[in-house]
Order: sequence, then C-alpha cells, then structure tokens
Amino acid sequence: MFNGLFRKFSGRNKDSKELAKKRLKFALIYDKLEVSDDIIKNLHKDIVEVISRYFEIDQEALELDIRRSSEDLSALVVNTPILSAKRKKDSL
Amino acid sequence: MDGKIIVVTSGKGGVGKTTATASLGAALALEGNKVAVVDMDIGLRNLDVVMGLENRIVFNVVDAVKGNCKLKQAAIKDRRVENLYLIPASQSDNKDVLNPEEMVKFGKMLRRHFDIVLIDCPAGIERGFENSVVSADEALVICTPEVSAVRDADRVIGLLYARSITPKLIVNRIIPQMVENGDMLSHTDMVDVLSIELIGLVEMDDHVVISTNTGMPLVLQKNSKAGEAFRRIAMRLNGNTDVPIQVPQSQKSIFKKIRNKLGIGG
Ligand SMILES: Nc1ncnc2c1ncn2[C@@H]1O[C@H](COP(=O)(O)OP(=O)(O)OP(=O)(O)O)[C@@H](O)[C@H]1O
Ligand SMILES: [Mg+2]
Repeated sequence: MFNGLFRKFSGRNKDSKELAKKRLKFALIYDKLEVSDDIIKNLHKDIVEVISRYFEIDQEALELDIRRSSEDLSALVVNTPILSAKRKKDSL
Repeated sequence: MDGKIIVVTSGKGGVGKTTATASLGAALALEGNKVAVVDMDIGLRNLDVVMGLENRIVFNVVDAVKGNCKLKQAAIKDRRVENLYLIPASQSDNKDVLNPEEMVKFGKMLRRHFDIVLIDCPAGIERGFENSVVSADEALVICTPEVSAVRDADRVIGLLYARSITPKLIVNRIIPQMVENGDMLSHTDMVDVLSIELIGLVEMDDHVVISTNTGMPLVLQKNSKAGEAFRRIAMRLNGNTDVPIQVPQSQKSIFKKIRNKLGIGG
C-alpha cells in the first residue's frame, strides 16, 4: 500500500516489470519476423482499423504476440477484447 | 546401462548454467543415480572449481572424445558424493577442436556408463553450443528474470525445438522482494513470454557464492534455499513429477502470512 503511494509521488505509475514484459514481447516479434519497429506499428494500426470497422474495440488493449505453434512455425496472434458489435448504419 | 543426456544451456552467459549443473549433478547422485557432469566450456573451464575438483585433473573431455585416454581415466570421482563423476573441459584448446559427429559417438559411450549425464553448455549459440546439444535427449534452459536473458533464452529454445528437443525452464537468481514490488519479471511472466514448461525456481542466495568459495556442493548446505530448490528440481528430473514447485517469497511476505494466520493485524 505504501509502495503504491510512493510510486505515485515518485512519478512511477507502473511496475517496471510490466514495461520489461512489453518490451520483451515486441523484441521477440522483431527477432522472429525480422521486421522493423515501424512495420509492426503499421501492422498494429491497420489491424485496429480493420477490426474497428466491424466491432467496437479498446484500441489500447489490442495485443500482438508471437507464439511457437510447432517446431519451426511461428504464429502471429492478435488478441483484443471486443466491446460491442457495430450497428450497420448504411443498411437503413 | 542406457542413460539419458541432459544439456544445461541458456544462450546468455553468467546466468547459472555451471551452478545448476554442479548442484543438480550432486543432487541426482545423492538420489542413487550414477551421474556424470561434463564441462563443455572448452578453454574456459569452471565446473571443476565449482565442484572443488580442480586439483585432480589429469585427462579431460577432449582427450576422452579423441580417444587419447579411456573414459574412466577422464572421469574424476567425487569423494564426497557417491556416484558422481566430473569430466572436465580442457583449458588449452578452443571449441573448434571437437565436432558434432564425434560428440554423437561420445554421447553413445556416456549413455552406456551412466544413468544420467549433465552437460554444462558454454554461453552462445556457436560450435560449443552445437557440440553440447547434438547428443542430448533433454534440455534445461536456465534464465534470470531480465529482458536480455529471456530474449536469449527464447532464441535457444527455438534452436532446441528445431532439434526436436522440448526444453524445461529453470528461473535462477530470483529476488522475491523485487518480484513482489513489481520490479522484477515473475516466473509467470517468463513462462508466458517463452511458452515453455517450468521445472524450478531458484532464488538469489549467498550460499551459492560461499559454496563456490569452498568447493563444497551447494545441495549439501543445510540452510541454502538455492540448494533446496536444486534438490527439488533433481527429484522432478528423477521422475517425481508431483513434487510441487515452490515460489520464493520475501521475508516480509512470509511474516505477513504468519501474522494473518495468527489473527494479528498488519
Ligand atoms: N542463485 C544464485 N544466487 C547467487 N549467485 C548465483 C546464483 N546462481 C549463480 N550465481 C552466481 O552467478 C555467477 C554466474 O554463475 P555460473 O558460473 O553458474 O553461470 P554460467 O551460466 O555457467 O556462466 P558462463 O556462461 O560464464 O559459463 C557466479 O558467480 C555464481 O556464483
Ligand atoms: Mg559456466
């Protein structure tokens, strides 16, 4: 509890390990796909855009992840909570 | 005999491969297995000093692989732990003196003479790594809770998978207080990122340094938490898969639990 207070006053609002984990996940994606930071960011942006056409999503919560799916195959996993489906306005 | 060969590897250097090899070797031997630990860090040998056997080396692993001596001559018998043998690295050669084909043959010979063979792999993913994993049946990946170590571990895990070996993870040098404060990756974070099966958690422990100073096996030290953790990992390797994995806890959180149990606020 005091820790939490201390963090607020010291301007640290996040556990440093959360940042470590996030950086790691991205580092592993870069390592495996051998793509740059920019490409991943664009991919992230495009995926958010496409999904947003159909669903209401929390754009911040969308996660990209690389999983080992078998011996030499990696899978790109997109994980996003869906808030609600979008009404089709143009179907009127 | 038809023993199994387990390689202890990490990618990143200095995370505890040699400590783990020495400790698990001793613990497995104490459980009644005939164990050989092989130092494959050729040119930078260390397993001998950690085990306190440095002054008894005559022949080494290169001699044994090349047939310059018999396996028996290169395997130094530990006098304190029954059934434990060290095959030391050579200090004057470099990693290229051995090749994977010879190591496969050597592995077959080791399996005939021992129940369990632990291979202390050098850091890196070059020839020394190749020579160490080529004859392995199983692998233990040692990793510390740091971004760089986890990234290297991921690389090594991928290379092991490519060889059809499914490795298990040991997290070493855990500082419970930092994990509880959210300033150190927890083992669940690491398992999550690496998607790998966990086999043990070892905390930062002064006894590791003390045991290296004296050359006395860590697993024989009564009050060593790291020694206890390695003993439990050895039991799991030995087939007692129901031995639970204990999560290291800080003094503070242990007292808190006791206070709560006793119903004293705090
Ligand atoms: N659980 C621990 N608690 C405290 N110190 C530790 C622990 N594990 C390892 N160490 C220390 O960390 C250092 C590196 O350990 P070790 O030599 O086993 O690593 P390594 O992976 O074999 O290194 P290298 O890649 O150089 O071969 C040593 O000084 C050792 O005493
Ligand atoms: Mg070492």
